[in-house]
Amino acid sequence: MRGTVGVIANPIAGKDIRRLVTAAGHTSDSSKIDIVKRCVIAALQSGADRVLLAPDPHNLATRATAGLGGRTAVIDSVVHGSRDDTVAAASRMWKEDVGALIVLGGDGTCRDVALGWPDAPLIAISTGTNNVYPRFVDATSAGAAAGFVASGAIDIATAGRRSKRIATTISTADGIVDDLALVDLALIEATFVGTRAVLDPAAVRVVVASCASPASTGLSSIAGRVHPVDRWSPGGVLVRLAAGGRRIRVPLAPGSFTTVEIAEVLPLADGQRVEIEGPGVLAFDGERDRRIGPEVRVTARVEATGPLIIDVEAVLLMAAADDLFAEREGDDAQ
Amino acid sequence: MELTRDVQMDLHRRMVRIRLFEEAAGRLAEAAKLPGFLHLYVGEEAVAAGVCTALNDDDHITSTHRGHGHLVAKGGDFNRMMAELMGKATGYCKGKGGSMHISDLSLGMLGANGIVGAGTPIAVGAAFADKYRKRGQVAVAFFGDGATNIGAFHEAANMACALHLPIVFACENNEYGEFTRRDRTMAITDIVDRAVGYGMPGVIVDGMDVVAVHEATLGAVARARAGGGPSLIEAKTYRFYNHHGVQNLGLKYRTDDEVAVWKQRDPIFSFEERLIDVGTATAADIEQVWSALGDDIAAAIAFAEDSPLPEPDQLLVDVYTTHTNHTNHTDHTSMTARGAS
Repeated sequence: MRGTVGVIANPIAGKDIRRLVTAAGHTSDSSKIDIVKRCVIAALQSGADRVLLAPDPHNLATRATAGLGGRTAVIDSVVHGSRDDTVAAASRMWKEDVGALIVLGGDGTCRDVALGWPDAPLIAISTGTNNVYPRFVDATSAGAAAGFVASGAIDIATAGRRSKRIATTISTADGIVDDLALVDLALIEATFVGTRAVLDPAAVRVVVASCASPASTGLSSIAGRVHPVDRWSPGGVLVRLAAGGRRIRVPLAPGSFTTVEIAEVLPLADGQRVEIEGPGVLAFDGERDRRIGPEVRVTARVEATGPLIIDVEAVLLMAAADDLFAEREGDDAQ
Repeated sequence: MELTRDVQMDLHRRMVRIRLFEEAAGRLAEAAKLPGFLHLYVGEEAVAAGVCTALNDDDHITSTHRGHGHLVAKGGDFNRMMAELMGKATGYCKGKGGSMHISDLSLGMLGANGIVGAGTPIAVGAAFADKYRKRGQVAVAFFGDGATNIGAFHEAANMACALHLPIVFACENNEYGEFTRRDRTMAITDIVDRAVGYGMPGVIVDGMDVVAVHEATLGAVARARAGGGPSLIEAKTYRFYNHHGVQNLGLKYRTDDEVAVWKQRDPIFSFEERLIDVGTATAADIEQVWSALGDDIAAAIAFAEDSPLPEPDQLLVDVYTTHTNHTNHTDHTSMTARGAS
């Protein structure tokens, strides 16, 4: 439906073990509810006909929209309290013809959204731990930008940029599985997924990054300190780590610096295929995800086929230039 | 941190010990061989095993009404536990405490507790003593989600943080307080949201994943020992049986489908699959663990059944103490808030 803004809020983002062993911050449910509420109100004030929200086991969406009127709806589907909820919600948003999708979470949440809707028109708000892909953006501004884009008042072709992703193919004896990361894919020398966080620098073997900035935190910061790659430029970078390599200090988690040893830096052209060999655990966007045995073949390539990122400030500047903030009849009723 | 094979097998063994003890206790209760209530820990094994494997033998824990698993995970003796459940004189409390007061001070297990939330301030006391005496020990308070609605928990959390004590609050969030869903009794979903209010970090872990629980506890314990103060771990878990007993009571507070979904994530069986997958153990190795511990359980049942009941003249023994504490500490300057004097 034209004019629909979607909202997906990951209820467990920002609450993992890294609050305990690093200086990562906690994002409470009440904070997320307030952020969602600001997004919804701003979207409805800025041209959106409807805001469609993903259901969640914490009822963040339901509580955020209580009393906001009939132009909000929470998708009526069963949730399981897992990553699959986010993937399913993103897919449903695509089917509902959502014009702009707001996501609350970190890099891992955005990856799940991309799994469900690969080229989603996206505004990602940081409420996670490693926030390379999402931006620290004011929720009211994000909602307003989403409203203008979803309504068609601002053309997304002028206010959005295609992001990159790391397309990954995992070949096992049971078949081939396609997966993706948005920021970084890593091979960790580990046996278990456990708490999912990557905390041991000595266990990191390979990092493939689509964007690598020295101003980032997490696995991509390793590459960012030796071979920065802008988030909008083509290609990426692969870094291999091994004892005896160049010793670099990196923030592997918020406020947590450690030394890694870099043995190889390989710039990657757009679409260039690289292979990663197990055994170990693959980490997608900073989270240990699945164990691979020595027989598993993993290929990865960085390509510009990720979600379409909506530039919030650019949208609002265009809205100001087009006089879209002028009061209209019925504004007070919203 | 990569887990050694010994640690992996230890995690598994502790979970199997709990499962076998609890299933045996359930069968005995059904046969009317156990007096009193029985709150089984089946389904939640990964929490007790994951936490206690990260502790030293002299670290303290406090427990709950669902406390067998905690004592088993801390190394509790099957014979004395089973005898206690049967009310026999050879039991941990000489047959006078039963399921909800089972304890072993020599293992640092300061007791199960029939009062919801009441174990948390006891753990704070242990942590206070540990810090005061500079023993380098850590206390862990096990409690459920419902306990965080109780005043004792809030006072304990506040005092622990105010005094910067070496304590880990281990919340077993199984989504139900007796027969009432969590969302009927609190407006928040994650217990960790409460931790911040007291000034300590709180983290969520998958309570059905023993490795995840263990990793988080290692972090919390290391932090506490290093003087970093309290923290809260919320393990999302599930009890496979009802609040008490074994039989399906026909109550509608949760659906069969919900129970089935959680049972598909059985913490022991899922861990065993991974142990085999990564080459830590073979199916035969795992079967051997179950078989050997099963023999221990059978022996414990026989031991308990053969043990005598307590004599009537023991009724008031251990109820009152004649001990007087003459310790007169006058220097309290080292125990100011946050350890700063």
